[in-house]
Amino acid sequence: MNAIVQAAQALPAMDGSQGLEEQQQYLTFMLSGETYAISILRIKEIIQYGQLTEVPRMPDFIRGVINLRGAVVPVIDLSARFGKQPTAIGRRNCIIIIEVALGAETQSVGVMVDAVNAVMEIPASEIEPAPTFGTNIRADFIAGMGKINGKFVIILNIQHVLSMDDMAALATAGSAPSAELVQAG
Amino acid sequence: MIPDEYLQTFVVECKELLEQMEEALLIVEQAEQDPEIINAIFRAAHTIKGSAGMFGLDPVVEFTHAAESVLDRVRSGEVAMTSVLAALFIEAHDHLKELIGHVAEGSHPAEATDNHGKTLIARLEAYLGETPAEQPGNSGSSDNSGEMPVIQTANVEREHSDAVVGTDLWHLSLRFGPEVFRNGMDPFSFVRCLASLGSIEELVTVIDAIPAAAQMDPESCYLGFEISFSSDADKLAIDSLFNFVRSDCFIRILPPRSKASEYQRLIQELPEQEMRLGEILVKCGTLTPEELDNILRLQSQHGDAPQRPIGEVLVEQQMVSSPVVEAALAKQQQVKDNKKSEASLIRVDAEKLDELINLVGELIIAGAGTNLIARRAGMAELMESTATLSRLVEDVRDSALALRMVQIGGTFNRFTRVVRDVSKELGKDIDLVISGGDTELDKTVVEKIGDPLTHLVRNSMDHGIEAAELRLARGKSAKGTLRLNAYHDAGSIVIEVSDDGGGLNKEKILNKAIERGLVAEGANLSDKEIYNLIFEAGFSTADAVSNLSGRGVGMDVVKRNIQALRGSVDLDSIEGQGSTIRIRLPLTLAIIDGFMVGVGNASYVIPLDMVVECVELNAWASDEGDGQYLNLRGEVLPYRRLRDHFVIDGDMVQRENVVVVRYGEHKAGLVVDKLMGEFQTVIKPLGKLFSSEKSIGGFTILGSGEVALIVDVPGLMGQIEHEREAGEVVPFTRSGVVMH
Repeated sequence: MNAIVQAAQALPAMDGSQGLEEQQQYLTFMLSGETYAISILRIKEIIQYGQLTEVPRMPDFIRGVINLRGAVVPVIDLSARFGKQPTAIGRRNCIIIIEVALGAETQSVGVMVDAVNAVMEIPASEIEPAPTFGTNIRADFIAGMGKINGKFVIILNIQHVLSMDDMAALATAGSAPSAELVQAG
Repeated sequence: MIPDEYLQTFVVECKELLEQMEEALLIVEQAEQDPEIINAIFRAAHTIKGSAGMFGLDPVVEFTHAAESVLDRVRSGEVAMTSVLAALFIEAHDHLKELIGHVAEGSHPAEATDNHGKTLIARLEAYLGETPAEQPGNSGSSDNSGEMPVIQTANVEREHSDAVVGTDLWHLSLRFGPEVFRNGMDPFSFVRCLASLGSIEELVTVIDAIPAAAQMDPESCYLGFEISFSSDADKLAIDSLFNFVRSDCFIRILPPRSKASEYQRLIQELPEQEMRLGEILVKCGTLTPEELDNILRLQSQHGDAPQRPIGEVLVEQQMVSSPVVEAALAKQQQVKDNKKSEASLIRVDAEKLDELINLVGELIIAGAGTNLIARRAGMAELMESTATLSRLVEDVRDSALALRMVQIGGTFNRFTRVVRDVSKELGKDIDLVISGGDTELDKTVVEKIGDPLTHLVRNSMDHGIEAAELRLARGKSAKGTLRLNAYHDAGSIVIEVSDDGGGLNKEKILNKAIERGLVAEGANLSDKEIYNLIFEAGFSTADAVSNLSGRGVGMDVVKRNIQALRGSVDLDSIEGQGSTIRIRLPLTLAIIDGFMVGVGNASYVIPLDMVVECVELNAWASDEGDGQYLNLRGEVLPYRRLRDHFVIDGDMVQRENVVVVRYGEHKAGLVVDKLMGEFQTVIKPLGKLFSSEKSIGGFTILGSGEVALIVDVPGLMGQIEHEREAGEVVPFTRSGVVMH
């Protein structure tokens, strides 16, 4: 865990300077009634929630995989990733395809959200640093607090949220309880 | 500068040559005095030197030259190829390999490497029996062996005692043929090459052959050189520089202190006018004006002599003795033969191949989609045409995959060297027996199997095979035997490493495992389970940690590496008689024939190689309580519902089916809802996120665009086994031991 946090600290330096000063466009989306934003730099595309194949024995936040033009892309349920209820499937559900750095390569990961709102400009002056506590998601997931129309939205540090090391570790741990479940049944 | 791609080709070729060289050296070391093998070593060294010279890689040229000179003497029978010398050459080979490695990386060798090279050169030169400073012309007398290099013999035993030209320099006359440029050669590179053997004292470029501008073809070469050259190299070494252009060029090499008559012949043979040539020779400093006069006088006396074949002239002149000519002819023949076999092979970038395989994969997915649409549309003609298409695509797939198949023999042969080195280090006498070298498997698998195999081989030699005294005491021959074997079995390739050593000591392993906390005390394990404990992390039974093995890292790494290739490893042992380690690997990693089954709404693909048969559950299941096994024609077949294992919701279907799968010696049933038939499956890797899930081997995309999961049968069976154990007593305190 420590290693992840350390590695994570190295990243925002790059992300932060680019994301907060030069580039100020963010995509806002809804997740169980709350608004979040992510920098559009890493977003590849947004697709409608469609045919998804579940992968057995995986933790809740790994929703499954989809076929993105011949490539198999994992889909993460962001709400479950934040430790909340898994997203209920509705009419406006979307999957945001995000490129995540994995070592020297990048991997596409889908993020399932309730609804996508808009691409907004948030000037750097309107972004406050993340509070150390008080938010209901892990502090290292937050890149900053952006002010839109006088309201705060959480700008996510998507590289941390979708950290492969972190998620794979959880997936390994996640398969154990499901094994017990099988035993009972 | 030389383009990178050529340098790459050079490196690849050198590596191949070095491999051949190593192979030959190892045979020679076994006291085989086959001249053909010595020749092979010489040729390899010679080609490396030649190509390295063209790239201006001086350290390589310098080093190879020393090796080549000694080899040449071995070849001519002056120096015997003892095992000591062979061992020296193996060291030289290693050094050369390192040098080539540096070339490939574009780095410079460390000083230690350089020094090592110099030591090796010195050791090699000791075999030359002459100090390099001596002139080849008079070194004959200082060579006390009595047997002298052929060329020098020729010099000394010359019949005529006509005037000797007083220069200490070699004289080279080069006339490049018109095709030289078109054949991709650069005359200048030869000159540069030459400079690596000595120093060029004087060089006159002969441009007399250049025609008038109107007739001149810019792609033709009209150049010639007259070179006066100081070198300690022997004639063959200088001569061999020009192997690449010999066929269409005029090349004459006169050793120092050649007779005037030889110069006279040279002048006669050269296309330019006599006077002009004479002037050039004088300009080169090869001849003094008086000597030239002398020669030209000789020339006029013999003026009417008819031209004889050059070879004959050379032999008569004893410039080269007839064995040398024969050797040269034989060499030319071999070069031609090599070219023939090269013509049937194409070197292809592995990446291009991967790209092709990927495309074929996409093609299969697209084809499956078209098939589905055709069937839905119900057009007979369209269905027929897609059926033809699928058959062709299948063929394309097979041949594309076959492109990547390589024989495992190459990998096995590398172990000849490992066994030699390690047995020396250990002071054991061990024979390596290789069989099944022609078994083919995917290139990517071959590349990744080398390290684990090395480890297993070393381990067998270190811990498996006993010391000679102990072997004799146990009534075995003092010489240990290590076997490498490969064969195909049920869609996988099996690689066996076996030794006739002491075998594994069950007690010792069990005690160690209990001590290390790998196994609970009092656990009841079968022999096989005990043996396979050695693949656990942190396990080592060697009492003393040796340089080779015994540090307790290794066997678990071996197992992990093999599992990463979707393979498995297990071990058989008979105490006192030896042990066999069996590695089972899939043939290919990219595309497989799959058998599609449905459970709930999801589709799963089971590799077809693993499927033995399909039966209906109700017809065969035993009615004995909730026991999950059935009576398959008198055989007990345990089964497992995929629905339960994968925790899939949904209603149970009326008629469940059992897919009987086999993996190695194990058979089991997987209960599924629907059987959907065969399906060509392109394996998409799991990715980091899912790699921890052992029961799934990968994803694939169905014709409908849906993603299906590929069942990893060994992984799944391991999981089931593991859960069963977890439900009963807990024999292991840690997870990870997979038993079948």
